[in-house]
Amino acid sequence: MAERAKIVKGSGGFGGPLTIGVDGKRDKLMYVTGGHKPAIVDKICDITGATPVNGFETSVPEEEIMAAVIDCGGTLRCGIYPQKGIPTINIMATGKSGPLRQYITEDIYVSNVDVDQVSVAGTESESTSVKETQAEEKQPEQQATYSRDKKIMETRAEQENKSILTRIGLAAGKVINTFYQASRDAVETMLHTVIPFMGFVALLIGIIQGSGIGDLFANVMSPLAGNIWGLMAIGFICSLPFLSPLLGPGGVIGQVLGTLIGVEIGKGNIPPNLALPALFAINTQNAADFIPVGLGLAEAETKTIEVGVPSVLYSRFLNGVPRVFVAWLASFGLYK
Amino acid sequence: MDYIVKFAEGFINLFQTGADTFIDWMTSIVPLVLMLLIAMNTIIQLIGEERINVIAQKSAKNPFLRYLVLPFLGSFMLANPMVHSLGRFLPERYKPSYFASAAQFAHTSNGIFPHINPAELFIYLGIAQGIQELGLPMTDLAVRYLLVGLVMNFIGGWVTDFTTSYIEKQQNVKLSKEVKVEG
Repeated sequence: MAERAKIVKGSGGFGGPLTIGVDGKRDKLMYVTGGHKPAIVDKICDITGATPVNGFETSVPEEEIMAAVIDCGGTLRCGIYPQKGIPTINIMATGKSGPLRQYITEDIYVSNVDVDQVSVAGTESESTSVKETQAEEKQPEQQATYSRDKKIMETRAEQENKSILTRIGLAAGKVINTFYQASRDAVETMLHTVIPFMGFVALLIGIIQGSGIGDLFANVMSPLAGNIWGLMAIGFICSLPFLSPLLGPGGVIGQVLGTLIGVEIGKGNIPPNLALPALFAINTQNAADFIPVGLGLAEAETKTIEVGVPSVLYSRFLNGVPRVFVAWLASFGLYK
Repeated sequence: MDYIVKFAEGFINLFQTGADTFIDWMTSIVPLVLMLLIAMNTIIQLIGEERINVIAQKSAKNPFLRYLVLPFLGSFMLANPMVHSLGRFLPERYKPSYFASAAQFAHTSNGIFPHINPAELFIYLGIAQGIQELGLPMTDLAVRYLLVGLVMNFIGGWVTDFTTSYIEKQQNVKLSKEVKVEG
């Protein structure tokens, strides 16, 4: 067979989809993956008719490589093949990272790929053609034992009969990689979503507390947020079906309302046990703007979305006030 | 002259108060949330999405599993917004109800598990920081938020079953109750 293979990213992966196939001299699928041969290598070769080459054992001239399969958790190797213009398939979930991150782009890189992510693309579709890189001098065809893009551990891993120590080393490497990637994702989330919002809310609090607007708000909010009936009124307003989709986006209204009520609780104007019903009151519109997207993620049919949007809006309305009331009942004994 | 100085001091004070709040959070909330995020991301990677998909497929029949166990597990394992993708294992008829309860789990569980919806953490934190200011433990609030959420979000999903029937009649359509999963 000489068809093209389509490769999409796995859950949590990055990049793609790539469509690769044998293209003239480029008929080798190189895998540089800690010694073992991942199942996707066989699958891609079955589809495209390419020859699998273990990048640990033999080096291949760059102009014969169709694509590279790697298992890099975010160090140099992720970027090294994209930099050379070679389509790269990472079996780990690494996104743009490492010192060569600027070369990792969606048109040449796909990650967290397993067998399920590989499919036949059909012969006619256009390929991700291998980009020509100028001035990139050819790698000397070295037969050295240790090469520059492999770690010593990985070179060891190519050996057929792995010693127990090597196996332990590889397993530990995988766990550490998982932690490292998790940590990188977490820092990314903190930097790009949590801390910016924190800055905004902190400024808001500064203005509320420092300017005297706080006292003004207290006068308005306390009668409303300071007792259960007022909270139920907030819950009622936020859950109105024609209003809730407008109040939903980004949870911003809820977050601002939360901050305002929080400041008043901190100052002692609102009793702390009302924090619980307040949490439910400020968010009865929860995700009302997101219904079509959420249903889309659930692969719902158009008909389902047409029914689902009003249905969820109505159920938010029916549930809104009772939720606040139940939360109030559940707040008895809190902070007393 | 004094008036201008007073005004300038007051003006700077707004930002100083904001800055103090910000730094307070950077040293208390940020490290804690970051550690939780790292731990959760790791657990999720190690358990894998495949296993949660299997649970999802088995949850379609029973409303208790559908609107309580699955949305909670889903928001814990996949976080917002990917929790909604589990809806694909349910019949069309139940997808709106699943969405209704899953979206709420992304908030009510967020007090204890901030990795679920870090971008909207302040719905919880905004209120909770008032509690913190009073020197009271935030965890008490977070636990009750989670527990009340478990009950009320289940009811929310279940009520949506009825509103969906109502809309079905109104629009004169009938959504399938059979599961159709491709791939």
